[in-house]
Amino acid sequence: MRQKQNSLPPDSLSAAIIATSLTKSFGVRKALDDVSFTLPRFGFLSVFGPNGAGKSTLLRILATLARPSQGSAHVLGHDIQEQTESLRRYIGVISHRSMLYPDLTAAENLMLYAKLYGVVDPAQRVKELLDLVELTGRRHDTVKSFSRGMTQRIAIARALVNDPELLFLDEPYSGLDPRAVEIFDQLIERVRPGKSFFMVSHDLTRGFDSATHVMVLSQGRLVFYEEKPAIDRDLFSSLYRELVGVALA
Amino acid sequence: MTNRPSAIRQFAVLFVKDLRQESHTRDMLTSMGLYSLLVLVIFGAALSQSTIKSNIIQISGGLVWAMLVFTSLLGLNRSFAAEKEDAGLDGILLIPLDRSVIYLAKTASNLVFLLIVEVLACPLFYFFFLADYPLTTSLWLVVPPLFFVSLGIAGVGTLLATITSGTRGKDVLLAILFIPVIFPLLFAVVSATSVAVMGSEQLLSVYVPALALAAGYDVIMISLSWLLYGFVVTN
Repeated sequence: MRQKQNSLPPDSLSAAIIATSLTKSFGVRKALDDVSFTLPRFGFLSVFGPNGAGKSTLLRILATLARPSQGSAHVLGHDIQEQTESLRRYIGVISHRSMLYPDLTAAENLMLYAKLYGVVDPAQRVKELLDLVELTGRRHDTVKSFSRGMTQRIAIARALVNDPELLFLDEPYSGLDPRAVEIFDQLIERVRPGKSFFMVSHDLTRGFDSATHVMVLSQGRLVFYEEKPAIDRDLFSSLYRELVGVALA
Repeated sequence: MTNRPSAIRQFAVLFVKDLRQESHTRDMLTSMGLYSLLVLVIFGAALSQSTIKSNIIQISGGLVWAMLVFTSLLGLNRSFAAEKEDAGLDGILLIPLDRSVIYLAKTASNLVFLLIVEVLACPLFYFFFLADYPLTTSLWLVVPPLFFVSLGIAGVGTLLATITSGTRGKDVLLAILFIPVIFPLLFAVVSATSVAVMGSEQLLSVYVPALALAAGYDVIMISLSWLLYGFVVTN
């Protein structure tokens, strides 16, 4: 049961994310400056921007890994500052860093997360996830012995342990070879139904094609946010160059 | 389907995770054990020319703690290197669990590793430097200070290592922060250890207040660290 539903903004139940004037300052520098947007449930938002634009900062705030200096946000109807713990049950994060312990085996890593989340049958859940990412045969190998692509597959399994409703993807293609990218995309497509996504990416092809909504951040400010049917990739690419001053990959 | 486990269950899972990781690699225990052995060798060389044997007994408390403090710094840095290597700590922070559970589990595992090293290093210290002297009946009294200081080092060190683990000069920064903060505890246990080794007549008048100071330090500093941990890992 979600808490404090009666104090939610009007769109909270139909929106995956409602951000209002989010600002994050590090000393005098504003990493994120007055960012507001709404992502509907089951939407897939791709966030683009050059290095230092504030993309990962925005993701970390929405994923409860950092606090905003000002502003507020509701994620899946939970206030990110007041209902942090209850929100964490419903979100998962896949980053360019695996968030795994390299010295533990694949199964030990997943079992660790399953037990901490309180999954009812952790052994069964770990088996299902290893089957999903097709690494059952390597379950007793330490993560440090895996290739980057295999590690990223285990990272997907880790992020799915609690069956999240919203997945945050932070540069998930970073360091993956083309085959690993293909496998990653297939896995995301397989788990996509019934979930919302927030992805930070430098890769226009991957980021744009998967998205239902696109956002551009520059120097911490939101300079573009649109539902995708209103814009095609080439138009977006030239618009991005105009807004940010550099081309997307 | 998930049912949020109790804090004790989550503590146990995190504590076992650290033990399991160490059992796979033995990184911390090996490096801490070797380091303390090397420090003993250096102390041995430095004191080999001393002709006044009673001096060695008098300074033995200080020598033990110099060895253990620097060894624990090495261990604390290594324990957080594993958390930061592939952002494992961020993964744990995404789970709905009280931050103080993470702190207590990490403190407990650091304490266990430190105690294991002490169990190996302290007898070696005895054989290197004190074996030529008759055992005092009060020698067993070195055990409580060892425990109190280990607890304090693990408790304060876990907080400080979390703060410094994300910085560029973490090895130096941890030492710069850690040693001044731990100084009152060291001051107390060095005098308690020294009188226990010497079997001095001042045993009760020095030992008991020193141990009380160490215990009080642990209670205050571990409570503070426990309260601050959530703020530290979120900001």
